[in-house]
Amino acid sequence: MSALIDDYLAGLRRRLPAPVAEEAAAGLLETYEHHLGTGAGDQEAARAAVAEFGDLEMVAGEFTRQAPGRHAARLLLATGPVAGSCWAAAMIGGHAWTWPVPDTARLVFAGVLLLAILALLVAATSRHSYQRTRLALLASPVLLSLDMTAITAALLAAPALTWTLRAAVAVSVGRIALNACTLPRLTTR
Amino acid sequence: MRADAQVLKGHLDTLLLASLEGGPRHGYAVKEALRAGSDARFDLPTGTIYPALRRLEAAGLVSGTWAEAGGRRRRMYELTPSGRRRLAGDRAAWRDFASAVTALLEPAR
Repeated sequence: MSALIDDYLAGLRRRLPAPVAEEAAAGLLETYEHHLGTGAGDQEAARAAVAEFGDLEMVAGEFTRQAPGRHAARLLLATGPVAGSCWAAAMIGGHAWTWPVPDTARLVFAGVLLLAILALLVAATSRHSYQRTRLALLASPVLLSLDMTAITAALLAAPALTWTLRAAVAVSVGRIALNACTLPRLTTR
Repeated sequence: MRADAQVLKGHLDTLLLASLEGGPRHGYAVKEALRAGSDARFDLPTGTIYPALRRLEAAGLVSGTWAEAGGRRRRMYELTPSGRRRLAGDRAAWRDFASAVTALLEPAR
């Protein structure tokens, strides 16, 4: 096989995870074989296949932009303002600073939440690095755990189940369901 | 007129689904079907077809399976029942849209 094809395949494997690179590689080889089938020589077929397949950075970038992790991160980030507003209203209305929750637990929760949001932001905005989109795979279960922790803590520590707290719990339950639906797709891709 | 991926944005998914309506195809055959079916107007870089097929697969509209052919593995793509439903819906919506635009651009004289 032509060195040109080998180099392109190596480039795909450096930029994309193995299953994705394998799919793209099969596509390049189909293109290469098509040109060989038209009677082109090895080098000529390789050059035509690479030209037809498209620039390596553009192809890797297209896979990245369409990565499930990038879409999942965008979806989860979109829920942030609603969930954040609901929880802020519930905590301010319920005087959350008086709830019997240790300061360390509050700080750890806030720190982990911040890290999860940062990871989702990196995954959601990645345009050239497929690996970065896979940060969603880390952030998604963390966010799911944070939602479950917030619900448990609020139900145990809040003195009354106000309507704002019910709304916040409902939004978090919705996000847990969303997370549970998207997570299996991220683990297989 | 040749159209690039940007021009096709919003229609590419439907065109890919339509190219699979006749039965399973591998990625290069999908690309060739788009090119041949459009009189070479839609001649996209082959490498951009695979990410789009992968996205349709993630959405459950297309299923992809590896098949052995000529001593080499090939990924074959075919429409799922959801993909067929989506294609039927997109086709009906396109007919409505196209007839409305045609009525505006080419009014009966």
